[in-house]
Amino acid sequence: MVWRPLADIYRTRDGWAVKLDLAGVCPEDVTVVTRGSQVYISGSRRDRIIEEGWNLYAMEIAYCHFERVIELPDELERAAISLECREGMLIVRLARNEENQ
Amino acid sequence: MSEQEQIETLPVLPLKNTVLFPGLMMPLTAGRPASIAAVDAALSSEGKELLVIAQRDAAVEVPGPNDFFSIGTKAVVKRMARQPDGAVALIAQGVERVVLIRIEETEPYAKARVRTSPVPEEQSTEIEAMQRAILELAGRAVQLAQPNAPEEFARMIAGNEDPLRLVYLIGSLMGLPVEKEQALLEAATRLDALRLLHSYLLHELQVLELRNQINTQAQTEMNKQQREYFLRQQLRAIQQELGEENPEQAEAALLRQQLDEAHLPDEVRKEAERELGRMEKLPPAAPDYHVIRTYLELILELPWRKSTEDNLDLQRARQVLDEDHFDLKEVKERILEHLGVLKLNPEANAPILCFVGPPGVGKTSLGQSIARSLGRRFERISLGGMHDEAELRGHRRTYIGALPGRIIQAMRRAGANNPVLMLDEVDKLGRDFRGDPAAALLEILDPAQNHSFRDNYLDLPFDLSKVFFIATANTLDTIPQPLLDRMELLRLQGYSEEEKLEIAHRYLIPRQVREAGLTAEQFTLEDEALRHVIARYTREAGVRQLERAIGRLARRVALRFAEGHTGAVTITLGDVPEMLGPERYSFELTRKQLPPGVATGLAWTEAGGDVLYIEATVLPAGRGLTLTGQLGEVMQESARAAQSYIWSHAEDLGIGADVFKDTGVHIHVPAGAIPKDGPSAGITMATALASIYSRLPVRSDTAMTGEITLTGLVLPIGGVKEKVLAARRAGLRRVILPAENQKDLRELPENVRSEIEFILAERIEDVLAAAIPELATRLHLIEAA
Repeated sequence: MVWRPLADIYRTRDGWAVKLDLAGVCPEDVTVVTRGSQVYISGSRRDRIIEEGWNLYAMEIAYCHFERVIELPDELERAAISLECREGMLIVRLARNEENQ
Repeated sequence: MSEQEQIETLPVLPLKNTVLFPGLMMPLTAGRPASIAAVDAALSSEGKELLVIAQRDAAVEVPGPNDFFSIGTKAVVKRMARQPDGAVALIAQGVERVVLIRIEETEPYAKARVRTSPVPEEQSTEIEAMQRAILELAGRAVQLAQPNAPEEFARMIAGNEDPLRLVYLIGSLMGLPVEKEQALLEAATRLDALRLLHSYLLHELQVLELRNQINTQAQTEMNKQQREYFLRQQLRAIQQELGEENPEQAEAALLRQQLDEAHLPDEVRKEAERELGRMEKLPPAAPDYHVIRTYLELILELPWRKSTEDNLDLQRARQVLDEDHFDLKEVKERILEHLGVLKLNPEANAPILCFVGPPGVGKTSLGQSIARSLGRRFERISLGGMHDEAELRGHRRTYIGALPGRIIQAMRRAGANNPVLMLDEVDKLGRDFRGDPAAALLEILDPAQNHSFRDNYLDLPFDLSKVFFIATANTLDTIPQPLLDRMELLRLQGYSEEEKLEIAHRYLIPRQVREAGLTAEQFTLEDEALRHVIARYTREAGVRQLERAIGRLARRVALRFAEGHTGAVTITLGDVPEMLGPERYSFELTRKQLPPGVATGLAWTEAGGDVLYIEATVLPAGRGLTLTGQLGEVMQESARAAQSYIWSHAEDLGIGADVFKDTGVHIHVPAGAIPKDGPSAGITMATALASIYSRLPVRSDTAMTGEITLTGLVLPIGGVKEKVLAARRAGLRRVILPAENQKDLRELPENVRSEIEFILAERIEDVLAAAIPELATRLHLIEAA
C-alpha cells in the first residue's frame, strides 16, 4: 500500500547514517522519528518539478506517501537527527547523543 | 493518516461499476473528457491526488452534482499512461475515506470539496470474533470458487490484522455489485462493515454451494458411465492376462469361422465380411451389435447354395401321390410331367401352380404330398389377411425390430433352396395404404425375376428360381389378373358322394381310427351308414365335415372300448342318429310341386354347389322390376335381360301384351341374407318370369343354369360339376345346361352321368320347352310355323 524506499545503512564514527533512495523528495517533506532502537522515516514525494506548459504523458514515478521503519542495534531515543539531500539521495544522520552533549 | 478532519478540494474521477477502497490499488481507465481533464488536473498537482467516487447510475455519461454517492475515496495516482485513443490508463491507490461536501465546479471537470472521514478505530471481542468468522467463510468460499487457488491467496487475506483492511480486501475480491461495495465503504464503524461483509459472504457461500451441487449432479451421471467403461476395460485386461478371449471376440471369431465354412456366394460373403468388421468395432452394449449379429446369423442359416436332391423315380412318385390322394388325375399328371422334365433337364425352372377349389378338397395336403413325392422340403406361408407388403418382403434393417419377410423366413426354415413353398389362401390377400402384397408376389412368382429376389432386410439377392411354388385359392375372382397370369391354374373340383365314400374308406376312416387309438379290426362302418353320414350330416364340396363326423364315430367307439367293451364294433345305419345326434341336413328343400313363377336354379358357391329356387310374382298395381335377395350387379342386369327377352317375345309365348301394361314384377332369390352374383341364373329367371306371366308351373324335378342374352342365346357357365352334384344331392333328376358346357360333363363320375338326364340348351326356347311342359307345345307350334 505504502511506498517503501530502499535504504543503505552505514555505521559512522558518531553513530548511524541511512541513505534512502528518495529522489525528488525535499527534506521539508520528510519526518524522522526515533522510538527505542527504531528509526521511523515517513513523508511524501510531491511532484514539484513541473514547468509551465508541461503536460504529463506517462507517469511511472510514484508521488505519494512513503514510510520506512529501520531497526538498529542501538538505543536511538535521544540521537540527534539531521537530513541532507545530495544527488537525489536523502541522507539521514543519527548522531549519538554522548557526542552531542 | 491523521485522525483529525481535513477539508480540501480535489478533482473528481467518477467510477461507473465499482468502488475504490482506501488502502487498495486498482487499475482504472478514464475515457470521458471530463474524467481525462480531472486526471490531468490531478497529475499536474504536486500530490497527484483526486477523488474517486462511484456514480449512482452507471448509465449517466456526464454526471451532475447529485449523481454521486456521498462518500468516496481520496486516491493517489501511482502510475499513468496514455492510450492511443486518448483514454488515460492509471493505477490509483486509495488513501482514505472522504465525505463529499459539495461539487464546486463541473467545467471542464468536476471539482469536489471533501472532508476526510476515517472510520473510527475500535477494538472489541466482537470485532475479533467477526474477523475470525469472516476469515473462515472467506476460506471456504475461496475453496469452493477456486479449488486450485494458490495458498498465498489465503495467506494474503489472513495477513490483514486491521479488520477494516480485511473487509475492503475481501469486499473488492468478491465482485460484489456496486451498491454493496458502496455500502461497505459507507459503513459507519468497523463492526458494521464486518457485519455487512459477513452477510455478503454467507450469501455468496450459499450460491457457490448450490452451484457445486448442480455441477456434481451432472458429473455423477457422467461418472457412472465412465465407471462402467473402466470396469469393462479392466475386465478385458484381466481376461487377456489370464489368456482368455473376451466373449465378444470369441463370438466374432466363431461367426467368422462359420462364414468361412458356409460357402457363400461372393457378393454375400463380401457383405457379410463388411458387417462382421463393423460388429467387431462396436461394444457389445451398442444396440447395433445385436442387430448385426442377428443379420449375420440369418445369412449363415439361409440355404444360399444348399439344395436337396430330387427323387426322380417316377414310379415311386406316382405311388406316393396315389397313396395320399384319391383321383385328382390332372394334378398328379402335371406333377409327374414336371418330374419327367427335371430328369432330362435338371436346370429347369420349377413351375408355379395354383390350386383352385372349395375348402376341404385337399389343396394343402396335396402340396405336402407333392413335396414328399419329389423328396423336397415343404414350407407353407399363409397369405390370408396379409395386407402389408413388408410382411412378404421384410423391413429395412434401419428399423428397430426389423425382420426378414415371410419368404426369406420360409427359406431359412426349409434349409434348402428348392423346397415346395405353398402360398396358402392367395385369394385372401388384403391391400391397404401400407402397400399391396400382391404386387410383391408378382416379383416373387416371376421366373424372369425371382432368381435375384431382394428382401428389404437381407438386402442381398436371393435365388428363388429353384423353389416349387404352389398357391392355393378358393376363388379366382379376388386374385389380381397379373398375378393370375403367372400361375398355372389347376382346378380341384368338389367331390361326389361316391368319391367321398371312396376317400372315407381309403384315408379318413383309417386315419380317424388311428387317432382314436383303435385298430382297423375294432371299427367297421357300413357303407349304408357312411352314405347316410355324407348325405345327412355334411354339406360340403370337400371332406372336412365328413372327417370330423367319422372322427366323432371313432371316438364313440373308443369310449366303449375304454369302458370295457371287447370285440369289434360295426356301425350300421341305425346307429348313426344315436351317435351323431339328429340329422343336420335334409332334402325337404326339394319342393314336390312348384306354383307358377318358381324355377329351380343351380348356384356355385365356395363350398361347392347349391340349389336355389327363384321366385317371381306379378304386382298388379306396381311398375317395373323389383329385385331382392342380395343380388349383385351382374345378377341384376341378368334379370333385366331375362325380363326384356320375355316382354319382347310375349306373343310367341302366348302371353297377352296387356299383362305388362299396368303391372310390375318382383323377383326374389331366397336365402336372402347371402350375397349372390354372376350371370348363371339368367335362364332360371327367364323361366320363372315366363311361368308367372303364362300362369303355367315349372317342372319340379328340373334344375337349370346358364347365362342368357337379349336375343335368347344360352351362354356357357362355370362350376358345372359342383352344380350337378348339388342337383343330384337335392334329388333332382333333370338338369338343363348350356349346350357349350357339354365338355364339362366328362368331369362327372360315370354313375352321376347315368343317373341324371341332361338337357343341353342352345336357346332360351329350348330351356322353356324343357322346363314348362305346357309351353312346349306352343313353342313347337312357333317352330313349325
